Amino acid sequence: MKELEEKIVQADSLETLEKVRVELFGKKGILAGQFAKMKDVPGPEKKAFAEGLNKNKAALQASFDARYEVLKAEEIERVLKSEEIDVSLYGSLAQKGALHPVMETMDKIIDYFVALNFAVESGPMVEDDFHNFEALNLPKYHPARDMQDTFYFKDGGLLRTHTSPVQIRTMLETKPPIRMIAPGTVFRRDYDLTHTPMFHQVEGLVVDAKGKVSFANLKAILTDFLQYMFGDVEVRFRPSFFPFTEPSAEVDISCIFCEGEGCRVCSHTGWLEVLGCGIVDPNVFKAVGYEDVSGYAFGLGVERFAMLMHKIPDLRSLFEGDIRLLEQFR
Amino acid sequence: MIVTRSWLNEFIDLSEVSDEKLYETFNAIGLEVDSLEKIDIPAKVVVGKILSCEKHPDADKLNVCQIDVGNKTLQIVCGAANVVDAEYVAVATVGAVLPGNFEIKDAKLRGVESAGMVCASSELGLPEMGKGIMILDDSIGELEIGREFGSYDVVADTVIELELTANRGDCLSVYGVARDLSAALDIDMKAFEYKQAEKMKLGIAREAEIHSEGEMDADLCYKLATLSNVTANFLLQLRLAMVKVEAEGKLAKNLAYVTHTTGVIMRAYDSKAFANGEGKVVVHIRAKRPGIIEVLGNNTVFSVAGVSQSDAATAKDDTEKILLEASYINPDTLVEAVAQSSEKTDDLYYKTSRGSNPDLEFGLKFFAFLMDHYTDINCYEGTLNIAAERDHAKILVDAAEISSIIGMEVDSNKIVTILQKLGFDITITADHVIAVTVPLFRHDIKHIQDIAEEIVRIIGINNIEAKPFVFAEKARLNATTDRYKAKKSFRNRAVGTGFYENVSYVFSDKTLLEKYGFAVTEEALALANPIAEELNTLRSTLLVNLLNAVKRNVSYSKKSMPLFEIGAVFESNREQSEVISFVFSGQIENENVANAGKPAFIDFASFVKKVGAVIGAFELKTCSVKNGLIHPYQSADIVIEGKVCGFLSKLHPTVAEAFDIPVTFIAELDFDALLPKHINAKPISKFQGVYKDLSVVIDKAMRYYDVAAVLNTLDLPMLKDIYPVDIYEDEKLGDKKSLTIRFFIQSMERTLEDADIEAVMGEVMSALETQCKAELR
Repeated sequence: MKELEEKIVQADSLETLEKVRVELFGKKGILAGQFAKMKDVPGPEKKAFAEGLNKNKAALQASFDARYEVLKAEEIERVLKSEEIDVSLYGSLAQKGALHPVMETMDKIIDYFVALNFAVESGPMVEDDFHNFEALNLPKYHPARDMQDTFYFKDGGLLRTHTSPVQIRTMLETKPPIRMIAPGTVFRRDYDLTHTPMFHQVEGLVVDAKGKVSFANLKAILTDFLQYMFGDVEVRFRPSFFPFTEPSAEVDISCIFCEGEGCRVCSHTGWLEVLGCGIVDPNVFKAVGYEDVSGYAFGLGVERFAMLMHKIPDLRSLFEGDIRLLEQFR
Repeated sequence: MIVTRSWLNEFIDLSEVSDEKLYETFNAIGLEVDSLEKIDIPAKVVVGKILSCEKHPDADKLNVCQIDVGNKTLQIVCGAANVVDAEYVAVATVGAVLPGNFEIKDAKLRGVESAGMVCASSELGLPEMGKGIMILDDSIGELEIGREFGSYDVVADTVIELELTANRGDCLSVYGVARDLSAALDIDMKAFEYKQAEKMKLGIAREAEIHSEGEMDADLCYKLATLSNVTANFLLQLRLAMVKVEAEGKLAKNLAYVTHTTGVIMRAYDSKAFANGEGKVVVHIRAKRPGIIEVLGNNTVFSVAGVSQSDAATAKDDTEKILLEASYINPDTLVEAVAQSSEKTDDLYYKTSRGSNPDLEFGLKFFAFLMDHYTDINCYEGTLNIAAERDHAKILVDAAEISSIIGMEVDSNKIVTILQKLGFDITITADHVIAVTVPLFRHDIKHIQDIAEEIVRIIGINNIEAKPFVFAEKARLNATTDRYKAKKSFRNRAVGTGFYENVSYVFSDKTLLEKYGFAVTEEALALANPIAEELNTLRSTLLVNLLNAVKRNVSYSKKSMPLFEIGAVFESNREQSEVISFVFSGQIENENVANAGKPAFIDFASFVKKVGAVIGAFELKTCSVKNGLIHPYQSADIVIEGKVCGFLSKLHPTVAEAFDIPVTFIAELDFDALLPKHINAKPISKFQGVYKDLSVVIDKAMRYYDVAAVLNTLDLPMLKDIYPVDIYEDEKLGDKKSLTIRFFIQSMERTLEDADIEAVMGEVMSALETQCKAELR
């Protein structure tokens, strides 16, 4: 019995174990031989003999099963191991593209204002003098037109220099109250390190009954917006001048590079200019035939936001489809 | 606009105001500070008096000076030629450390002992003031020998460069800036009083007369004066250098200084040019058109008010009798007239076009005051004047309205105080309405919101409490918002498929577009002032720009370049529409262990899969689009719901070669065709279906699209799906090919029986036989 037991335990592979199984449990196996002896056992001892045999058989079966489990597990492990690969080789296989940082920044800006119940509006890129200048209180020869070097067409049309004409179009088409943003492509005839002939703006406009919309409202929404975009920054309003708003302000955030200490990016002022805004000039409302209303408007350059938020050093690289830049935003 | 602290201090007492406070205040009131620089004069640089100056024995260009520096007399060798004219100079004594860490030490120059250096302005960190050393005079204050040069406030000044907005012509002078500060800091302006000692009793009318013709919106004021020994004092020259104002000649320097200080436009003429036969000065003013006001003498135009002055009659330093002119012209009239007449303008035009100071008398008086001290000047009594009749703008201001614009309660007394400080005239009516008379120098103030802006500036925006706007709820999800959202989802799908989003200029190269057969803007509608040759037309396709981007990436050693862009394109009539375009160039994926570092190049099937992953289901049929980018045998129309909405193609190899880029596939389609449509679900069968394959032999030229079109017309409700799975050609088939199509057959009502399947396939086969001349293989 011990000897048989030993045979099972000694089996070192499923194959050897199978041989042992045939030798022990097979039709012509050792156990079958033992059971065959039963007929020679005298009657009264038969029961004890059979019990002894069955007990032995059960014990051997148990050893066999245990050994089988062990060897089977070893076998599976061997097969699995043979399939082993260096997973670290495959980490870079996934190939996802990337959104353009300017467009992705625009998305974020739009999401903010849509969440605050602003409608998104749009207008054509090829504009006329009325919508781009005249209606925005920028009469011909106004010195402020110098600020915006314009692309003209031979028939007098022009490429919009800002998204503000969308305000005019929306106001001409609908009645107040208005709560809108106009994201879009705009054009200035300027090309150097910090200017490209095309860039993107998001314009905002809120119009409601006279006396309802105030400068304090503008402060509230823009402060919240800038902190949503740039995180925990300080927001500063500086009086400024735009022909289409009065009072007007430029909005600065504390420099996100030096945290206000003063660095090259903020020209050592500790502040970065990011927005222009103001209370809509009465002449603008006059141009679209609105009476007894009040409103605020604001506008921002998306490239500037994207460059500041992502610390992109070169404006022009944004328009070159440079995958070395884009793949960083995967 | 550049001002200096000490210069401002002549009009407003800034002794209690730090530079930091100035910086903050300027920014807070809308005069943005571009730079603020405190000039530091090194220690041990002192005022010295030159006692003697002799030629260096061994060097022609050097002088040996004995200079009194208070406690002792120093021998200093000086190389500047103008030292011979100098009495008082700035002397860097031994131990002084000048900018650039240059320490002054005892030295020997060509054998002569030298114990210091006589300084030029730039050597002390002051702006360049012309050749040679600084020759000091008492314009900087009493000259005390031995006194530290840096202890003179006007020398160790703070130079502040302000960036003015286009509406603030009133701040294009030191005086104007001081006035704004006065309101912001609540410090009264110092009154400027000057009366010239009467040296000459002669009235101007005896010597000169003025005539005018035409209507003019301008004021001109003339004074006659005799001059000798014109001087430009040291401080004047130093300040002009600090504020970067250049003027040729001493008289011109004085005039420029007056204009920069007061904002009044000053010119001077040689009176001889205006003298008639009897020696009388006759000034003729002629309005050529509203805004173009010419000043003539003896029928010759010598200047155009606010625009330019000819050299012919300009007074020089040695002119004995000058005709001095102060002028103001309404900027609105002027700017329009100049733009229309294309008059050449000089430096002063920047000021006049934004609104110069109309207080002409102030300018003339300041000039006399300035000259009086250093120059022998005798002014004739009185002035010759031309003044336009003007109504000053009046605005009725209600404190409640101002408060509602700002969103904060502002007291009416506060409004009155601020406006008065800013130079507005105020009267208060019985019912507490404030009547504001706008001074001429604030021609930008036209209505109550302009007044609100002044109030906001001075009380400071940062002192206004932010208040969220309360508004009525309203659904604002319009078509543009929906379109934006759809666009965003397509962009995200493209990114998920491996494409990079490109943003390129809406411009393109006309020659390239024409070369490849794309539309360019009609000549009559074309861009009049393109910024560059390669950006000289509106793009009618995004593909050329995308191929240029690929080309750049090839030069950056990129091997797999999947790019997409959604953007505006323009037809030749400038009609704008939006397209989505894809370019896939080079390797289909990056090199990795899975492809053993040798990835395949992009091919037709892979490109179709990728585009499909972005835009959803479509069919392809033989390409009907014609342009130079398309490969004639690997191109297709993209058909969505039966409508052709774009094309997909291998890039023509010659184009790939021209751009120097690897195998490339392109697609461009109308973005509107992709906008999400409403979908109704079809019922789904509960019964099992079967797949059946059919191989037929058809003409080689026949396209699957045509075969499918035939099968799609069959009215077989059980035929649920049809798609090609194999194509086979060989020599035996000749001009035929074998096409294997897989069919999925399923009933909505019951389990299929063989007869059902046979019926369907029978109809399929007969349709193929009759309409496609197909034979069973």
